[in-house]
Amino acid sequence: MMLQDGSTQVLCLTANSGVPLFTRGASKQLPFSVIGSLNGVHMFGDGQGVVLSSCQTDCGGRVVWRVFHDSVMLIAVNGGHGSTGVIQGHVKGEELFLERLLENIWNCMVLVLGRDELTNMRNVERLKKDLRSCFGLIDQLLEDRHQGIMGNLTHCADCLLPPNPALVQEAVNGFTQSVDSEFGCLVVHGRVAAATENWWRLAPQEVILLSALMRMLSSSGSASCDYPVFLPQGSPTVAHRLLRFQLLPGADVCVLCGPTPSLQKAQSDLVRQFWSPLVETLRDCLAVGERCLPGTVSLRVPDVLALLVLNREARRSVSCVRPSADDSPTLPSKARCWELLRLFYIFAATRYFSQEEAPVPGALAEEKAHSRSSASGDFVAGFPHQPLQCYLVTEECKCYGLQTQQHQLFLLTPLSVPTFALRNVATQTLLAVTADTGF
Amino acid sequence: MFNIAIESGPFSENLEDFDSIRSVLLYSDLEPEWLDNVQKNGELFYLELSESEEEVAVARAHGNDGLSTNHVRFSDNEAEVITEADGKQRSGRRAKGEPKLKKLARLLRRKRPSQRRAGKTEAKDGGSLPASILKTQAGQRQGVTVKTVKEVCVYVNPKRLTPLPNGGGGLLASLLGLVHRPCASRGPGNPAAGGGGETLTVHGLVPNSPAIRGGQILIGDVLVAVDDVEVTTDSIERVLSCIPGPTQVRLTLETSAPAEGATSVAAGGPPAAAAPQPRPKASPPVSQLVRLLWGEDTAELQMSMGHVPHVAMYLSLQLDAEALQEEQEILYQYPVSDASSQLKGVRGVFLTLCDMLENVTGGHITSSSLLLGRHLVHVGYWKEGSRLLVLGLPAESVPLLYLQSVLSGVVRTLQVMYGSLDSAFCLADHAPRLDHFFCLFFQQLLQPSRLTDGGPGAPWPAPQTPDASGSLFLDGLPAVRWLSLPPEIKMKVDTVLSDFESSDFGELSEDFFGLRRLYMILGSCLFYKGYLIANHLPREDLLDVCLYCRHYCLLPLACGQRVGQLVVWREVFPLHRSQQRAPCRGVPPAAAEARYAPPRARHFLLIVGLRHLMQCVLMEAGGAASPALGSPGPDCIYIDQVKATLLQLEVLEGGMEERLSAPAAPCLSCADWFLPAASARDRHGAASPSSSSSPVLSKLAGAMRGPSAGARGLFGDKARRSSPKRNLSDSGNDGPPQDPGAGVSPDPARRLGARRDSLGSGGSDGSGSLLKIPRMKNPNPFYLGTLKKILTERETEDMFNSIKLTSGVENTLFHYVLMEAVQGIFIAPTHRDMAQLSGSIHPQLIRNFHHCCLSIRAAFQQSLPPRGPRGAAERTRRPLGMGPIKEHGVLFQCKPQNWTDQKKPAPTMTYWVIGRMLLEPVPQEFYVCFHDSVPEVPVELAFRLSFGLAL
Repeated sequence: MMLQDGSTQVLCLTANSGVPLFTRGASKQLPFSVIGSLNGVHMFGDGQGVVLSSCQTDCGGRVVWRVFHDSVMLIAVNGGHGSTGVIQGHVKGEELFLERLLENIWNCMVLVLGRDELTNMRNVERLKKDLRSCFGLIDQLLEDRHQGIMGNLTHCADCLLPPNPALVQEAVNGFTQSVDSEFGCLVVHGRVAAATENWWRLAPQEVILLSALMRMLSSSGSASCDYPVFLPQGSPTVAHRLLRFQLLPGADVCVLCGPTPSLQKAQSDLVRQFWSPLVETLRDCLAVGERCLPGTVSLRVPDVLALLVLNREARRSVSCVRPSADDSPTLPSKARCWELLRLFYIFAATRYFSQEEAPVPGALAEEKAHSRSSASGDFVAGFPHQPLQCYLVTEECKCYGLQTQQHQLFLLTPLSVPTFALRNVATQTLLAVTADTGF
Repeated sequence: MFNIAIESGPFSENLEDFDSIRSVLLYSDLEPEWLDNVQKNGELFYLELSESEEEVAVARAHGNDGLSTNHVRFSDNEAEVITEADGKQRSGRRAKGEPKLKKLARLLRRKRPSQRRAGKTEAKDGGSLPASILKTQAGQRQGVTVKTVKEVCVYVNPKRLTPLPNGGGGLLASLLGLVHRPCASRGPGNPAAGGGGETLTVHGLVPNSPAIRGGQILIGDVLVAVDDVEVTTDSIERVLSCIPGPTQVRLTLETSAPAEGATSVAAGGPPAAAAPQPRPKASPPVSQLVRLLWGEDTAELQMSMGHVPHVAMYLSLQLDAEALQEEQEILYQYPVSDASSQLKGVRGVFLTLCDMLENVTGGHITSSSLLLGRHLVHVGYWKEGSRLLVLGLPAESVPLLYLQSVLSGVVRTLQVMYGSLDSAFCLADHAPRLDHFFCLFFQQLLQPSRLTDGGPGAPWPAPQTPDASGSLFLDGLPAVRWLSLPPEIKMKVDTVLSDFESSDFGELSEDFFGLRRLYMILGSCLFYKGYLIANHLPREDLLDVCLYCRHYCLLPLACGQRVGQLVVWREVFPLHRSQQRAPCRGVPPAAAEARYAPPRARHFLLIVGLRHLMQCVLMEAGGAASPALGSPGPDCIYIDQVKATLLQLEVLEGGMEERLSAPAAPCLSCADWFLPAASARDRHGAASPSSSSSPVLSKLAGAMRGPSAGARGLFGDKARRSSPKRNLSDSGNDGPPQDPGAGVSPDPARRLGARRDSLGSGGSDGSGSLLKIPRMKNPNPFYLGTLKKILTERETEDMFNSIKLTSGVENTLFHYVLMEAVQGIFIAPTHRDMAQLSGSIHPQLIRNFHHCCLSIRAAFQQSLPPRGPRGAAERTRRPLGMGPIKEHGVLFQCKPQNWTDQKKPAPTMTYWVIGRMLLEPVPQEFYVCFHDSVPEVPVELAFRLSFGLAL
């Protein structure tokens, strides 16, 4: 067995010649012969008019292939739980996860290098070198270092609902205007606390990726930075500047702008001007912490183990785990709750709740076809009637999923909640989250 | 031999009667009619249709350009028929006289028992028995197998005769292009026809002649008539010389081999030329069973499936580098058509992946997904030793979630039939059987709806077609559909079966001949109209037997009076029995036969069907019985014993039928009743507009609003129309049939009584006292048949009302499936129950239910750790990661189709589909579908349902 249990490796090759560009993930790289045959299998099928998209093994291992713009081939390999049968790390073996991962990685490559560089490969060696600059971001996507971030999977931006949204929103709008931009965003604990209207008009994948980039940049500890980015959908060939300023540890603001103003000027003048009056407000935001929801939202705390609310139209999400402080040993740990929440999302999304993505203009027809047929999404289409809600009772917890016109809720409750009460808990929770906050 | 007198009235308990039946069967010394169809290896698959069915077939045949068979008789192995065609055609002429005889025999045989009062004494005398016709006929059996009459129109021109190299052959060869060698047809078995000359067998075709151009005349056909003028060797030249000028003549030919099967072999048609294969399998195998079930020709069906990619391949992982033969790694492939060519082309991918992933991830590959143009295809893998079975199926037919269970089903069926995959695929002479096997397999998976629509008398009497996911789900359950019978009938059935299984009388007993008996009967099971009604087999054996029956669609066949007589005999390899003698697996049976040591038992499956009844018997040779040598064919004694048993049981059919036609119990509701239809809406609107428009909607809104309104709002709708459940028995079809308005609400006492009573069926004693009928003290919902006799009609109706699984005033149960894993059976509403609940939404709901069950069951399966010794065989997938799932439910919403009212939004109805897996006290799986209005506790439902399941 060449791949460790549960580890995931991503291989990147040129699509037409099969030259390996990079390999990320897993401590031990797969031997070249394996990489070659993984690619060769796909290429051979392609020549015969058969496009291989994924395969799985009996112990959870999985391989997913994807070609982007006829130029780059990405392959994700997951080792499965093998003989040891580890319980953790299942999410990474799910097809939906791997598919989203590959898409995110491709977008990340475009974000850093621009699409032209990737589609018109003139000098492979140089490209290899250039691609190194993506590794930080790719590793972050692969390792899922930030426990509470669901956006990479759901393609809905993780949000944090600030206690006083109007103030923060105003500051973000003002600050963004002052640097001659329409795209600005405040990130608290790696989640979007407020953003301008146009920021939300970016494709969800871009918002996710920019958030991930912000997390990476802010964890580097620098107070500010100026980072050139291409927008994978919005402007894949023309770079913009991403200006990021740390306001407080854990709170960053960023704008996408043109050549002016300089980082220096913005930091010295504008940041102070707009944000210094708001320090207390920002501290309040930081205090919300992992709960993501302001104190005004009252959940039936003992009944809620974890929750994920998606706004289907705005492509935003709020998630939190274990809002209650009680550390009863019978309940699953926090990390396990996140894992379960993800698993349940994948379960419900691939079987019952259609995951209509915002149509991405400019995506190739073949890629559209691909995303339509992906995972077990075809199973959803088989229902003559529309699924609205679903629940699961497992040995660790109970799960309830619910979708309305606007929202999707995924809720985990302890086993102590009776099954017939789940529906009430779920509807109340959704109401509590959405009613007051206008989420 | 079937006109035995049976007292048609009350069930006769007199065993001597039955002994006499048996002795009649045994001593009558008749040759059974299936004898000709026994294969070289001892296998037999003989199916004789019922008369009505044959008439339909004949009628269709006439509309079908005359190219069809009169008798649908077929064997398991078409290829052998083809090879024997030469021998059979000799008696082609004689076959002509037979249908009449057969028909007569059948007519005589098929008299209802009540008409057969002739008395057994006569039967014993045997003098002028109709059965003796059968006997004499059996002597002429060569021609019986398959006989096709076809008419071919050819264009002939006497002015342009085809020049022949040797000049012989006369007009027959030069004008028509048929070559007949006079002496060749004179065989020892062929008593030369009288003075009228000989039969005109086609021994060859002249190139570029009119006969070969059409492609319909085959070598081996017998020319019977030209333009309706009967011809023989003597008269043919004269007849042909009468053709004055260029014209079209109609030739009537008889074929004694299956037409299509012979096409490519004899005429060397394009398919054979295009794909040079090591064995002649280029043409799709003609499966008359397929034709019978789907009502179409295999070729047509294949055409309609041609655009759907699907394939089954058995590949060798060990390649001999030196042998340069192309495609040597393909040990078997089906179909050989465009549908599979692309998938066949990428077999290298499958082989590489199988090999590589094991090294990379340490697990065996189970499936992969491919995009073929617009089709998403899932490919399942099954590795056995150094061989790999690959199965490619389109995603729309088989969702990935269920691919593994489909695959393991096929593998198990093959293992049961052949012992192992290797022995199934690696013997060259199995190829045509496998073609037949996979033809059926793909038909069932890809065109399940045609199976039910297409047949002349649709197999299920229901208008409702079992949908794709429905058949996928129900066939995938490791269980058989069970019909519970009233206890006294059940007892009698069991007694009869036990008597048979004891095999301690007549020729079955060892004392009779003073020899060891040939076979020991391990057990048997009995089907009535496709429902299992009695089972004396261990679970695993039952499943094995059932897999075989399902695969050959025997169960639906028995349902609609389509089977006149069915006899199947073959060696089987029951899974858990053969696992104990593992060392011998993988050796082809032919080679293994010599090595079978006496203590090692072999098993044989005997299936005998008579009309609606079908009995499957599993027998063991070796062990206690004498060892089987070679490949023993069907044993008349055993078959006759089973027939006698079935005849004996036929007397009980009345009781079974009564149970089947009894109203559904537990009560079911039709989805349409909960959705005000456009027409009903007006009526309701006048009476109580607020409640009738959509009680469900308001309820749903309530549920969304908060806890007070909640999901428990059943009693919120006081003004609801009268309970729909009551209509079930009398007026199934016309929507909400009763006036919703005033005063219909049943008096509270009765309601209460009913309610209490339904709880009483959950096990508490004495709660039925309100109804003051001692009989109903502990009503069992499944024994309605008996209750119905006792109670008056009024009371019975009350009973029906009370037998519902859901709590609350109204019956909200739509559908259910309960699987009892220990017994290997499941119960679900009968097809007739479902047919009674016709409506526009309801069939849709059932389809949805089944589709959802696929997902629920897949979730259960995924979360289960592999169990015991079967873990290896079933290869359950990894645990889902969420841990074991005990219960899973989905809430659905449906709207009426074609909602025309623009102003109002369409009314909606919401309902739950819930699955639950119980491991204690006995493993059960339970799937139920009910209306949203009552929050049910599925455990309770499951308990109530299983309580009625007495075995």
